[in-house]
Amino acid sequence: MAKARAIVKRLKAVKNIRKITRTMELIATARFKKAMDRATEAAAYTRKISEIVADLSQANLSIKHPLLQQHDSQESSCLLVLTSNRGLCGGYNSGVLRHAMARIAEARQADEKLSLEVSGKRGLAFLKFQGESVDQQYTHFEEKPTFEEVEELADRYITDYCANRLDRLEVAYTKFESSSRQTAVRETLLPIGELTSDDQSDASGESAPERQVDYEFLPSAEAILEEIVPAAFKARLFKCFLDAAVSEQIARMVAMKGATENADEMIRTLSRQYNRARQTQITSELSEIIGGVAALE
Amino acid sequence: MSNGGQLQLVIVTPETTLVDEPVESLRFPLYDGQIGVFPGRAPLVGRLGYGELKATGSSGTISYFVDGGFVQVKGSVVSILTGRSVPTDQIDAGQAEEQLAEASSRVPTIEADFDAKSRDQERARRLLALARKPR
Repeated sequence: MAKARAIVKRLKAVKNIRKITRTMELIATARFKKAMDRATEAAAYTRKISEIVADLSQANLSIKHPLLQQHDSQESSCLLVLTSNRGLCGGYNSGVLRHAMARIAEARQADEKLSLEVSGKRGLAFLKFQGESVDQQYTHFEEKPTFEEVEELADRYITDYCANRLDRLEVAYTKFESSSRQTAVRETLLPIGELTSDDQSDASGESAPERQVDYEFLPSAEAILEEIVPAAFKARLFKCFLDAAVSEQIARMVAMKGATENADEMIRTLSRQYNRARQTQITSELSEIIGGVAALE
Repeated sequence: MSNGGQLQLVIVTPETTLVDEPVESLRFPLYDGQIGVFPGRAPLVGRLGYGELKATGSSGTISYFVDGGFVQVKGSVVSILTGRSVPTDQIDAGQAEEQLAEASSRVPTIEADFDAKSRDQERARRLLALARKPR
């Protein structure tokens, strides 16, 4: 009897876990849809910004802005690591943290001053365990990062960069490529390499057949450029946060789907085992009775 | 260039596209004053100031507060790119007052701080004026 009981207990536990993982999968799916909507809506801004930048480049001016210039010294860099606040999302955090650790090791070898900024409890816990000191930590970015919150960070980076306190800003996050493909990457955001990188291919593809438009620039192309560079940087940083949020939900969705499937399989094996154990028990009870009767005769 | 005397007004913020609808005319603040746009305007790229954006369309008047940014007029499409934008009737006057008080109480020491102070003051004043405007 003992064996069958133990199996029933386990079966119940697995069924409960399955319920939890299934619910988490559904929640992650709903959150992913919301995050995805936000990301697509935000893409319009980035697209427009690169459109204006492309328009400006027609004006034949040499693009010069403190944020675009590489500093001579590469002493103080900053690494921003975007991880999640919650776990149970597969390899999402470890992928990002692997990049972060590689960069930290690199900086240590080159004797470079690297300030570490981490968003998300998971990343914080991991780095604490590794014995790395974290200079800034954020845990308020959930699945809905607002532009206002990101702008605060961006403003600080911009002032630091312009004041030569920061020579390089890198972000380790999970880039969203498509809903079936997300990769952990490390990107350099400052100095801004190409002002019109990602969306340039799409934008030029669309606008190529159009004829050139002669714009009136108010106040002047230079002044607009001066304003648009920080705006482009902010939009880019915001995109990193949005990408990270979307990827987190996808990662969780996939992980929980896997967990639910595994639980299903386990339930199947356990119920088979239970049935067998029950049958053995019945058989042995029967043979005991028959044995008892035979002894009495 | 214009499609039958109509403009398409698009207001985009980093988070979402707020407005995307046809209008007949609109007026909004540039860095140095108001500008009006009618259908058939020559292409333009400009820097926005702080203040009220007002557009008249078939469905009435739309009024938004725009918080700096850029404008692009291309053909019949007017794209407003701004960091923040709120419908005028949703402006929080109390918050605007707080922002103004905070900006005014700053004691700037370097050039950049002076600029930031006057910019924030200007922004808060415009916001406040708009919030108090009788409708």
